[in-house]
Amino acid sequence: MYKPTIGLEIHLQLMTESKIFCSCSTEFAAKPNTHICPVCIGLPGALPVLNEKVIEYGVMLGIALNCTINEVSSFYRKNYFYPDLPKGYQITQYAIPLAKDGFLEIVTENQRKMIRIEKAHIEEDSGKSIHTGDITESEYSFIDFNRSGVPLMEIVTYPDIESPDEAYEFLNLLRSIARYLGVSTGDMEKGALRCDVNISVSKDEVMGTKVEIKNLNSFRSVKRALEYEIKRQTKLIEEGRTVVKETRHFDEKDGTTKAMRTKEELNDYRYFPEPDLPPLIISGDFIEEIGQRIPELPNQKMRRFIEDYSLSIDYARSIAYVPSFSKYFESIIAFTGKPREVANFIMVNISNYLNETGKDIEEVPFGKEEFKELLDLIDSKIISLNIAKNVLDDSIRSGKSPSEIVREKGLSQVTDEDTLRSMIVEVLKENEMQVRQYLAGKTKVIGFLVGAVMKKSGGKANPDLVNKILLKELETLRQ
Amino acid sequence: MSKFDIEKVERLAGLKLKDDERERIKRDIDEIINYFDILKEVDTDGIDPLVYTKWTRLTLRNDEVHTGLTLEEIKKNRKLFGNNFFRVRRIIGE
Amino acid sequence: MMDITKLTAYETVKRIKSGEIGVKETLLSYLKKIEEREDLIKTFILIDRDRAIKKAEELDQLEHKEGLLFGLPVAIKDNINVYGYEATAGSKILKGYVSLYDASVVESIKRENGIILGKTNCDEFAMGSSTENSAFFPTRNPVNLEYVPGGSSGGSAACVAAEEVAIAIGSDTGGSIREPAAFCGVVGLKPTYGRVSRYGLIAFASSLDVIGPLSKDVRDAALMLNVIAGFDAHDETTVDIKVDDYLDILEGNIKGKKIGVIKEVMDFEVQKELKDALESSIQKLKGEGCEILEISIPYLKYALPSYYIIAPSEASSNLARFDGVRYGYESDGAYLREFYENTRTEGFGDEVKRRILIGTFALSEGYFEDYYLKASKVRRIIEMDFENAFEQVDALILPTTATTAFKLNEKKSPLEMYMTDIFTIPVNLAGLPAISVPAGTDKAGLPVGVQLVGKWFEEALLLRIAHHIEE
Repeated sequence: MYKPTIGLEIHLQLMTESKIFCSCSTEFAAKPNTHICPVCIGLPGALPVLNEKVIEYGVMLGIALNCTINEVSSFYRKNYFYPDLPKGYQITQYAIPLAKDGFLEIVTENQRKMIRIEKAHIEEDSGKSIHTGDITESEYSFIDFNRSGVPLMEIVTYPDIESPDEAYEFLNLLRSIARYLGVSTGDMEKGALRCDVNISVSKDEVMGTKVEIKNLNSFRSVKRALEYEIKRQTKLIEEGRTVVKETRHFDEKDGTTKAMRTKEELNDYRYFPEPDLPPLIISGDFIEEIGQRIPELPNQKMRRFIEDYSLSIDYARSIAYVPSFSKYFESIIAFTGKPREVANFIMVNISNYLNETGKDIEEVPFGKEEFKELLDLIDSKIISLNIAKNVLDDSIRSGKSPSEIVREKGLSQVTDEDTLRSMIVEVLKENEMQVRQYLAGKTKVIGFLVGAVMKKSGGKANPDLVNKILLKELETLRQ
Repeated sequence: MSKFDIEKVERLAGLKLKDDERERIKRDIDEIINYFDILKEVDTDGIDPLVYTKWTRLTLRNDEVHTGLTLEEIKKNRKLFGNNFFRVRRIIGE
Repeated sequence: MMDITKLTAYETVKRIKSGEIGVKETLLSYLKKIEEREDLIKTFILIDRDRAIKKAEELDQLEHKEGLLFGLPVAIKDNINVYGYEATAGSKILKGYVSLYDASVVESIKRENGIILGKTNCDEFAMGSSTENSAFFPTRNPVNLEYVPGGSSGGSAACVAAEEVAIAIGSDTGGSIREPAAFCGVVGLKPTYGRVSRYGLIAFASSLDVIGPLSKDVRDAALMLNVIAGFDAHDETTVDIKVDDYLDILEGNIKGKKIGVIKEVMDFEVQKELKDALESSIQKLKGEGCEILEISIPYLKYALPSYYIIAPSEASSNLARFDGVRYGYESDGAYLREFYENTRTEGFGDEVKRRILIGTFALSEGYFEDYYLKASKVRRIIEMDFENAFEQVDALILPTTATTAFKLNEKKSPLEMYMTDIFTIPVNLAGLPAISVPAGTDKAGLPVGVQLVGKWFEEALLLRIAHHIEE
């Protein structure tokens, strides 16, 4: 069995108003080259000035990732030529990053696992190159510098990840944390989160050859690319061939990775201290103050939902990882209790509604009062859980209260035993075969019979009562 | 043998000298680099490199947006193409 | 009739403000001087007569004559951005680049109602000591046209010496203000690193570059420093330390001040007249009641190699932005790499290419520790030497250069040219303020300069001492 070893390099855009070293707007999808100034297009003589918000967000994220924050960190220049890199160097952190030695604990298939973080540092983004047609054949490329100087935090993990699922979950958790902190949207389609992966496979303790994969445009792509790459590398080794240390591109269309066709480029970035920016000094007080502003994070929330509310891992994660969902969920259960029921309604009915309408959960016209009303209807056995789901769906769409809907549509549950018994007798007559089967010992068909009664009642029969009466009637028949 | 591999350094520096120019410049640089050897006489053990003077303190900017350059200004220096893009020759050669 | 161009900047502003002379009148006198001399000396890369005259006329209309530089024509070295003007830094690669913003010093000069008259010639990207490295033309020494004006701020020094302008702005990375000032017989002030904003100065070596004035006398240098000194939010390396009124403190005595003479300077070969000039300045200081002490800067001779590693290293990175994509010269090529290489190889001159290559080498894998890092450590040792010295003295005195100006095309190898800066470079490495003041001439009639070095951010005392020794 070949074991994959995976490390991630993630670039998160910090959601500041202005760029990291100048006052240009970071607005997404603005007209090309309309958010640029002498600093971010590298006019001669322009100098960088650091944005305080970048430090605040960087420190916050660093703390949330359980990192040690360096009270003194420094900026370096990474030198290389590329047309979207206006100064011919990128200002980044190198020798001493803002944050180091952290970890995140992820949960997959009921297993907890620690993924260590080597470092998290701040840097500037480059502009955007647009290649019309094939990069190797089109005559020109086009450059938009609006992104140039957008603040990024680069997070580098140790190669502690051992499966595509773990990689997926790490990214999922990281993005969720960034959203809770309000430091990044983490939207991959808007370039606010980018991820490169390093992967090798090995049968034993000896590490395999590391391959880097780029051009991963979604979490799903990350997973698919890793799955493909594990197979590819395993096959190579089994065939006695060697894995080449290289950078590969993921091809979204066919789900494969391909070696990048580049001329050999010298990789010598000639890092040296950025003389235009003195070291960044952060006080312990500042770090402490930022630390106190960090809210409960999604992984802690998820654990609490599982432990305190007995939610399933899937539901706990789905609610806990989306700040607006958990806020909604928690505001409701604080009023109504019954977290399992509420979670169920949110994950099924409300999620469907959001998918259909494209709305945000904040816009759902079904608050804690409505939930309370709905849950009370169930509690007092006026409606069944199934009917309740319909009532909820109806209420969100019509704006009517749950009780109104139950009244208007006559959805009250049938709890009158005589009415139920007569329905049951009818059902037993109509399904003689199943009755015989039951009496012959095939008790499983009870489910079918209950279903038939529920159907006859238009879903309004109280299922517990139906069950009870049905069994009694069947016993009567046996005798 | 000189440690100064001029062709490699040219490539890193984004330059490509003509052969006669290269020979001349390499000779000058070899002489200069040899001169640097006298630094070996200085014992720098335990010395921190100096990049910033001790008075410099990083000051932080407020996260405020100000308008930058207009397209008209940019066009004073370069023609823009399409929807106001800078244009460069295709990136990969041969 | 009075020749306005003979006046100092300080006197000029004073007389304009008193109504004795007009702004336009002043400007026209200078323009006339330029017309007479410029063809021979060639100090300017750009002169904007029309814009200057228009500004002068506007100022003449004003009732309140406000601003420290009211109506004063100022020349700016061409490696400093002035909105709307070409800024070439003496390089072909920036030919056609139009500045889209004002450097902070230019903004200050404009705010004080100075008039930007033009852009002065310099060695390409301030790399050189003779202004022969300008991509466009060499500038000549107004004192003797066969000689270089020094560099890299050779245009700024020469235009002040030729009385083509009242005062000029230069930049000093390893001596580029002080050496040409000495060669041309004017005052050149290099302020403390961090005292004057570099925002808008086309970077050569960011940790060493400083902007400062070249002027007819020390008072004028003080006047300009009053205008340009101070913290600037656009430059993270400026320092928020109190700025004195440098004109105010200029007079006052210097009795009891301790002046250090650097023992190691005499290890170098220094032209006799320069030694004599130094000695007579020392005597003057003694006469003013100063105490002269011999002090040691043991690592002085390592400053030059340290500098010639650090400055090119930073330059190799600073000059990477000149790729032909957004502004300036552009060549062509079948694909990007070729385009870059053609643009840069055609756009940069030899000396710039040499330094880019040296710097790239010094930062590259396998050599970083032995070159860049080693040089930066030696730099620390040199700074510590100065720190020790300044525990004993208030200022240092030494020659600005080891020789007076040399002839055009006289220096042969680059290394020989680098040696010109042996007495100015250590000051940049330590970030100290220094000033070169004229101190007579040699037997060929070429100007001699004496250099004073002050404590960090103590330009006030430095200027006062300089004021006492100037002629």
